This record gives sequence, structure tokens and C-alpha cells, in this order.
Amino acid sequence: MSSTATATATAAPTASAIQRSQVDLVDFIDWSGVECLNQNSAHSIANALKQGYREDDGLNVESDADEQLLVYIPFLQVVKLHSLAVKGPEEEGPKTVKLYSNREHMGFSNVNDFPPSDTVEFSAENIQAGKPVVLKYVKFQNVRSVTIFIEDNQSGGDVTKVQKIAFFGTTVETTDMKGLKKIEDH
Amino acid sequence: MVLEATMICIDNSEWMRNGDYTPSRFQAQADAVNLICGAKTQSNPENTVGILTMAGKGVRVLTTPTTDLGKLLACMHGLEIGGELNIASAIQIAQLALKHRQNKNQRQRIIVFAGSPIKYDKKMLESIGKKLKKSSVSLDIVDFGEEDEGKPEKLEALLTAVNNNDSSHIVHIPPGPNALSDVLISTPVFTGDGEGGSGFVAAGPAAGGDYDFGVDPNIDPELALALRVSMEEERARQEAAAKRAAEVASSQNQGDEQSSKSQDTTMADTTGASAAVATDAAEPMSEVDALLQQAIALSMQTPASDSAVRDTDMSEANNEDQDLAAALQMSMQEGEKDSSGQMDMSEVLEDQAFVSSVLASLPGVDPNDPSVKDLLASLHGKSESSDQKKDEEKAAKDDEK
Repeated sequence: MSSTATATATAAPTASAIQRSQVDLVDFIDWSGVECLNQNSAHSIANALKQGYREDDGLNVESDADEQLLVYIPFLQVVKLHSLAVKGPEEEGPKTVKLYSNREHMGFSNVNDFPPSDTVEFSAENIQAGKPVVLKYVKFQNVRSVTIFIEDNQSGGDVTKVQKIAFFGTTVETTDMKGLKKIEDH
Repeated sequence: MVLEATMICIDNSEWMRNGDYTPSRFQAQADAVNLICGAKTQSNPENTVGILTMAGKGVRVLTTPTTDLGKLLACMHGLEIGGELNIASAIQIAQLALKHRQNKNQRQRIIVFAGSPIKYDKKMLESIGKKLKKSSVSLDIVDFGEEDEGKPEKLEALLTAVNNNDSSHIVHIPPGPNALSDVLISTPVFTGDGEGGSGFVAAGPAAGGDYDFGVDPNIDPELALALRVSMEEERARQEAAAKRAAEVASSQNQGDEQSSKSQDTTMADTTGASAAVATDAAEPMSEVDALLQQAIALSMQTPASDSAVRDTDMSEANNEDQDLAAALQMSMQEGEKDSSGQMDMSEVLEDQAFVSSVLASLPGVDPNDPSVKDLLASLHGKSESSDQKKDEEKAAKDDEK
């Protein structure tokens, strides 16, 4: 049913990503820890991740010094990632995207030090449509944080633009420590 | 108060022997580095600073980013001058050192002192700058020393490659009468991204100028106030020390035994008073006072033996005594006002012997002074046995003489 993740995403049944109680994980992103290296300060990562901003195709995150981007997204609780949706313009949208789960504080220098948990290559139509692509679910069973490394873009130019990044998946039963209330002693 | 990890890259190449900055380029650079270390660690206690040398046999990291100012100043000693500047690998190694900083929340900054000619070309520097920008590292460049052709342009190109939102700066300092560090203080290298380096200006050479302490009261009123208060305290302390020295000198002339005897009496008075005070029920205040009195008495005893040597110790004790005296005075005055809640306080006050011995044993407070007498009288006006206590007070004063 689902293709291997390294092949292009066209064969993946994208509709099934939303089935079976896979939710949009935007609510579970820990915004205080989100970082993006090499982003243009005028076009920041919030434009691609936050609800409302990402729907707007005029707002996008742009790369600064060169075409690579490194996005670090921690989650508020442990999640399983099922699929990933990336939307961008035809020319400057991302092509090769590597995902690393549970690696903190990566830099451009050590992206090549260990293999990615998954790699997705987008074709021009995919990236324009922005349909979710199924990931190697088995690799993303216990995810506290995910790092997205956008290696190059469709046209090979100097600037990469991304309009939307969304994750779909489910949460693992984790205790939300903030919700714990002290039992009153009587 | 930005939380930052900084790597300072020092130029210790042969060009640093030159004396166009007093006393030599290397010394001027070292002073500037010391000042920067101090400023960074002061502006935020969690800031870390590391140092590496760029020339010599090769790039060498002297300290990895640390908060310990002593360590930073210590490793500036014993540095040897020689070799040639290797700016490219220095910046890369600095970047690596910053990458492995312990607190990942700190922003990354590299400060480069470029005093000798740069042999790399613009392209190379620009690519280095780009890498720094990608990893969001800010760069400050201090261009001094050798006025090479193309050096300012190369450094400017490096800066534009790195610069992200004006977080990186470059400073060109030509040789001149002013010290390198003085010129640096007013630059953004010191003041960070527009925040107050003014607090540190006060500590360094007074480049601030117009105001008393080089601190603008408008910018930083609390710091200006604190500085003013500490100046006054220092002045008061020195006056007290001078007074104390005169007093001790005069009492020594009367004879050591007599003075020590009077000290003992005072001590006895104090301990007796404090014992009486201590017997009062459930008074945490009195225990504190008792301890204070013992401390004062102890400090009073030491000058009897060797005042000449102990003058400095005494002056410190005086300082504490004055603080204690001030605290006691304040607490006594408060006790006067609030009689209902301060029953125990008034009992302490009524212990005339105790109070008078306290006042008598304090330097600079002459019990025969009419104002002090009035104060004592007013404090103990309510007590029935005031006459008896006045006798005790007189006895205590006689002993003191």
C-alpha cells in the first residue's frame, strides 16, 4: 500500500494519511523550542508552521545564505509521525528533505554524520500540491523532536522557499505534567 | 543582558611587537581582551567567554567558553609572540568551540582581533562568513595595527557575509594616543547590540566624561545611585578609620594596661547586659543583639594589643560597627514608635547599662556628647528606675575613661 520512502512520493496514497485518526500535529509543537538555521529573518519558520500562516501561500520561509534549511521542531509530548506535507513554489520549493528524529541541536556540519530516519524527494507537482507524503512509520514511533534538513530545491537556485510544513500522526499516551493537580488533603 | 557564548581570537603574530599602540600592540590588545572578558561576564552571569590564539605555531585554544573570569585573565599571561596569523582556521576552530558549548541556549559570538596583514582572499573570507551566518554566529572584528592594502575591504566583505540584522560589527582603530581599550569601550563591540555597556564604563577608564562616575543617571539610575552611596560609605568609613586611629593613638599614650582594663570592664558590662537581655523570654531580637555586642566587644579588645598593625583590621571592624550601630539605632527608633508590638524591644531599651555600654564602646560616639545624652535620656524617659540607670551609665563612662 505505501511505497518505500526513498522513492518519489507520487505513488503514495496521500488520502489515507488523514484517515484513521491521524491528526495534524501542529497543536503539539513546542513553540518555545522551534529553531530554524539559515532562515531569512523577514521570512521565518513560523510562516510555514503556524496555523493560519501556513495556509497563506503568500507567507513563506526563505533561506538566507544558501539554499539549505535546518528546522528543529520539538513536540510537547511523544508522538508517532505518520506523514509529512510540504508545500512550496514550483521553482524554489524543496526537493530533498531529510528527517532526523530525536536529535537535538544539529548543525549543518553534522547532518552528514548519521543517517536520516527518512528521506523524501519531492517532485515539482507534489511540492506545488502540498499533499501529505507517508513516512517510514516504524522509524517514527517514539518521537520527541524532529529535525528537518532541506538539502536543495527544485530549481537548484540560491533561495529555497517553503509555504507550508505539516506533520500528521498520533500521540502516544504521555502524562501532561501541567495537567497534574495536587490532591487536596482533607 | 543577552545570554551569549563568546570566543575571543587573539592575534599573537610577529606584527604585535610594534609599539605604535602604547606600550606595544600586544599589550594594548591584552588590555582590551581583559576588559571585554570582564564586560561580558558582568552583563550576564551566565555568559561564557573563551580565548584562542591565532598565530604562533598554530591556532591554539587557551580556554573553552567558561564563566570564570579569573581563569580568563590568567591565561592571558605568558603568551608568546611569533608566527603568522591564520584567520580562516582560527574562525573555524572558534566556531567549533562554540558549537560544543554547554548551554545551548546561548547565542554564539566570535570576536577577532586582526592586527596583522591578512593573506586570504576575499572569496575565502566571504565563504567563511557565509558558514558563520548559516550557523547563526555573530562576528565582531577589531581592525587595528597593520594598515595593509585591501585589509579593510577584506574585513568589510567578511562582515557583510556574516552580518545578520546588525548583530555583527567591525571597528577600525588607527594608531594614536588613545589606548586601544579606551576606543573599544565606546564601540558596539563592548556595548553589545545597543544595550547598556554604560555600567561597565564606570568601572573602566572614565571615557563617559560628563557624569560623576561615567554613568548617565538617566540611562541607569540605580547604578548611579549605588555608586554614589558606596562613595559616601567609603568616605564615612575612612573618616571613622582616621578618627579611630587618632583615638587609639591617644589612648595608647595613657598606658596599655589602663586601656585594656577599661576594655575588659566594657566587655564585662556588655556580657552582663547581654546575659540580662538573654534572660528575657522568647526574644530572637535580643539574641541577635547579644551576638552583635559580643562581636563588637571582641573587636574592641584587639586594638589594645597592637593598634599600629591592627589599624586596618580595626577600620574594617569600625565599618561593621557602624553598620551595627546604624542598625541598632534604627531598630531602637522603631521600637520607640511601635510600643505595642515591640514589648521586647522596649525591654532591651530599658536595659540602660546595655545600651550605654553599646554606645560607649562604639568608636566615634562620645557618651559625653550632649546630643547622645539627650538621646539616651529620651529613650529611657519612661522607665521608673531611670535614676538608678543613670548612675550605672555614669559608672560605665568612668570606666571607659
